[in-house]
Amino acid sequence: MRFQRIVQTLVFALFIFLLWRAAYPLVENLPVDIFLRFDPLISLGVMGAVRRFIPALAWALVLVALTFFLGRLFCGYICPMGATIDFTDRVIRKKKQPGKTNSFEAAGRWRTVKYLFLTGVLGTTLLGVSSLFLFSPLSLITRFYSLVIYPPLMMFSDAALSLFQPLFPRIGLDSLSLAYVETPRFDTNLFVAALAAGIFAMGLIKPRFWCRNLCPAGALYALCSKKPLFRRRVSEDCTACGRCLRACPMAAIGEDFVTTAHTECVVCLKCQEICPENAISFSARGRDRSPVPEFNAGRRAVLTAGAAGVGAAAIAMTSLNYLHAGEAPRALRASTLIRPPGALPEVEFQERCVRCGECMKACLTNTLQPVWFEAGLTGLWSPRVTPRLAACEQKCNVCGHVCPTGAIRPLPLQDKKYAKIGTAAIEKSLCLAWEQNKKCLICDEICPYNAISTQFAPDHTVTVPVIDEDKCNGCGYCEMRCPVTGKSAIRVSPQGELRLAYGSYEEKARELKLIFHAKDSVQDQFILDRNDAGQPSETTGQPPEKRETPPKLPPGFITGGE
Amino acid sequence: MARKPIGRREFLQKSTKYTAFAAAGAAAPMFLRGNASADAPPDIVVAQGAPGAATKAAVEALGGMGKFVKKGQKVVIKPNMSWADPPESATSTNPEVVRELVSMCLDAGASSVMVLDNALRKVELCLEMSGIQQVCELFPRTSAEIVTKQRFYQDTPIPKGQDLKSTMVMKKVLDADVLIAAPIAKSHGATGVTLGMKGMMGLIFDREVMHYKMDLDTAIVDLCTLLRPQLTVIDAIRILTDGGPGGPGKIITLNKVIASADVVAADAMATELGTWYEKKFKASQVKHIAQAHERGLGNMKVAEQVVKEVTV
Repeated sequence: MRFQRIVQTLVFALFIFLLWRAAYPLVENLPVDIFLRFDPLISLGVMGAVRRFIPALAWALVLVALTFFLGRLFCGYICPMGATIDFTDRVIRKKKQPGKTNSFEAAGRWRTVKYLFLTGVLGTTLLGVSSLFLFSPLSLITRFYSLVIYPPLMMFSDAALSLFQPLFPRIGLDSLSLAYVETPRFDTNLFVAALAAGIFAMGLIKPRFWCRNLCPAGALYALCSKKPLFRRRVSEDCTACGRCLRACPMAAIGEDFVTTAHTECVVCLKCQEICPENAISFSARGRDRSPVPEFNAGRRAVLTAGAAGVGAAAIAMTSLNYLHAGEAPRALRASTLIRPPGALPEVEFQERCVRCGECMKACLTNTLQPVWFEAGLTGLWSPRVTPRLAACEQKCNVCGHVCPTGAIRPLPLQDKKYAKIGTAAIEKSLCLAWEQNKKCLICDEICPYNAISTQFAPDHTVTVPVIDEDKCNGCGYCEMRCPVTGKSAIRVSPQGELRLAYGSYEEKARELKLIFHAKDSVQDQFILDRNDAGQPSETTGQPPEKRETPPKLPPGFITGGE
Repeated sequence: MARKPIGRREFLQKSTKYTAFAAAGAAAPMFLRGNASADAPPDIVVAQGAPGAATKAAVEALGGMGKFVKKGQKVVIKPNMSWADPPESATSTNPEVVRELVSMCLDAGASSVMVLDNALRKVELCLEMSGIQQVCELFPRTSAEIVTKQRFYQDTPIPKGQDLKSTMVMKKVLDADVLIAAPIAKSHGATGVTLGMKGMMGLIFDREVMHYKMDLDTAIVDLCTLLRPQLTVIDAIRILTDGGPGGPGKIITLNKVIASADVVAADAMATELGTWYEKKFKASQVKHIAQAHERGLGNMKVAEQVVKEVTV
C-alpha cells in the first residue's frame, strides 16, 4: 500500500479512537478534541470572531507553517474529511479514474469556489459571526461521525448483543447476561446526514470534489503551498504517457504532465506510484517545471464573496432570535434553550462554538442535543440541555473538557456544581400532587440538590412539592422523572442561569447566595419546624393557625392505630 | 436505663451520638421481653457492630444463611444502589453489608449471586460510587448489575394485587430461587420510610405508575405479595433520617443491622429503632407497613415477637 494511504488510515483510526474516547470518564491528558484544533479554519475563524488569540487553537497554525515546506499535507494525510471522501469516492466511483479532462487547465473554474467560501467565512467573521459550522471540514465530519454514525453503531451492537444473549449462560459468560449498549439519540441527525451525503455524492462528478473545489480550509492551505520546499518534480525520463494526470485525485497536474499546481496537490504520491518510468519524485531538489499555474479567482469574485459573507452575517444578526444573544438576552430567549454548564455568555458562546458535536457525543446522559433555530440563525446545531430526555449529571463535567474551542469552559467538578444552568418551576395544573392530590413527589425524591421540599398545602391530604429556587441547579432530574405523560409538570427554564466568561462559579454562586450544598453538610429544612416556630407558611401565605387541617406529621407518616 | 439528664444545647451538639444511644435505650424494653422467651428461635435479630461483622452475626442468630440458601440455588440480593453517592451519604446500602451477604450465600452453596437494582441516577455512576460493584468483583459467580433495559424484564401478573395487578419484573429475579432484601434504612418523602418492602420497587420496570395511577402504599404491598424476600437484612449502620431517599439529609449512626425472615417485621423493627425527622414513630404509622400487616404479609408488632440482640 502507498505510504500516504497507510498514514492516512492510521491517522483516521486515531481520529475515530479519540472521538470514541470523548466519553465519560475521560482519560486524563488525552486530547480527544485535538483534530478539531488542527483545522486552521476553526483556529483563525474562532480567533477572528472573538478577536483574541486563543493558545489552545494555535496547533493549526503550526500545521499552516508546515505547509510552506511540505505542501497540503493536512488534506492528504490528516484530515478525516479527506480520508472519508477518499473512501466514499472509492465506493461510489468504482475505481473509475477522473478521466482525460483531469488536467489542471481543464478542471475548470469550480476550484476557485473554495477561495470564495474562504473569503465568505472570513466576511462573516468580520462582524463577529461564526459560520464555520457550515464550512469547516473538521466541524462537518466530527458532527457527522458523532451524531449520524455513532448512534446506529451502538444500536446495532446492542441488537447483536441481545441476539446472542440467550447463549451466554451456556458458554460460561454469565456476566454478560445483563449487558447492553446504550443507544444515544440526536435531534436533527437526518439533516446532518443529508449535508454529509451531499458532500460525499459530489464525488460522482469528480473525486475529492469537496477538497478540490469547496473546502475553505483547503483554500487556506492552498494559499500557503504555492511552492512548498518538498514538492512534485518530474525528471527527463518522462515519456508523457499521461497516466499521472489521469490518476490525480486533485487535478493538480498540468496538460504537459510536468507542470504541477502545488496549491492543489495533497502529496498523495499516487502519480509517483503510477509512473512507469519512475520519473516522478517528491523531494526538495530536482527539476520542477514552474511557474506554477496561478489560481485566479478574480478580484471581483473574491470581494463579492467577502461582501456576501458580511451580508449573510448582517442578516443573521438582524434576525429576531439573534437578540436573545445580545441586547435582549431574556425577552426573546426560547424557554427550552438551556445551555450546558460552563457555557460562555451567549454572544461569545455562539462565536466560539463550532457545532462539532463533540460535547453531545461525550455527554454521559445524552441530554445535550443540537438545536434548530431556537438560538437564532447563528445558533444552528449548538448544544442544549434537554431535561425531559435526560438530566445533566451532577458528577459529570465532560462537555467542557472535550470542547475544542472553549465555548464550554473546562470546569473542575467542584466548580461545575455551581454552574447553574437554569431553574425548575412547577406547573401546578399538571402536577399529580397539586392538582390530583396524589402521593407522587418523585421530583423531591430524585432532586440531587435537595431543592424540592414537600410541604403541606390547604385542601390537600398529601404533601406537595415546592421548589427552592436558590438551591435549584437546573440539572433537570425532576423534569426527566416526572411521571406525567408528555410535557412534564416540573420544567427547567434558563431562568437564573450563570454564564461566566471567566472566574469561579463557586464564588459567584456564593455571592448570589445560591446553595448547591454538599451532601451531609446541610440538613433538610422540614416545614413542620418552620410552622412550629410560628412563621407563616410559604405555600399558603397564612399564619399556621388558620391553615385548614394541617397534618402534624412528616410526609408519609400517618396517625396510625395500634 | 438511668441516664443523667443533658441540656438541649449539648444534645444538639452531639445529636448523632446521643440519638444512637437514645434509640437503643428506647428499644431496650423490647429486647428484654424478646429475650425473656427462653431459647426460642428469634423472629428478629438486631446486631450491633461493624457493618460486616454485624451482618454476619445477625444472619447467624437467625439460624445461619444455610437456612435460607440451599446448595445450587440462584440468589438475588436487592440492596439500595440507585444513587450516585458514596456510602457516607447513607443513600445506598453499605458495601460491607453486601460483601458479607454475598460471602455467606456463596458459603451456603449458592450457584450464583446477583446483586440487582434499577437506578434512578446514571448507571455507571451508581455502581461505581456506591462501592457495591467493587465488592462484588471480589467474588466468583457474583455480579452487581443495574438493570434499566426493558428487555431484561417480564410482565408478571400479581394475583393478590389490589391496585397493582401486573408489572414488569426483572427476569433474573423471577428465575432466582432466593430473594434477599438488603435495604439501607432511609426516610422517604412519600412513604415515610423506605426499607425492605418499598425497596422491591427497585426490581420492577415501571415504578412511576405506582405513584401516579395508584395508592402508592397499597401498590407497594401489592408488589410484596409477588416479591416477598425470604430474608431481609436492613443496613442501619448509618440511617438517613430526613431528606430521603436521595438525600442530602441528616444522618445518624446506629451501627446496627436488622435481620428477619419476615420483611414486615424487619421493616417494623427498623422503623421503631430509627429516628425520623427528629421524632420516633411506631411501625403502624407507616401506611404500607400497617397495610402489609393487615393483609397478612407479616407481623409488624415487634413487641409480640422474639427479638434477639447481639453485639459484636
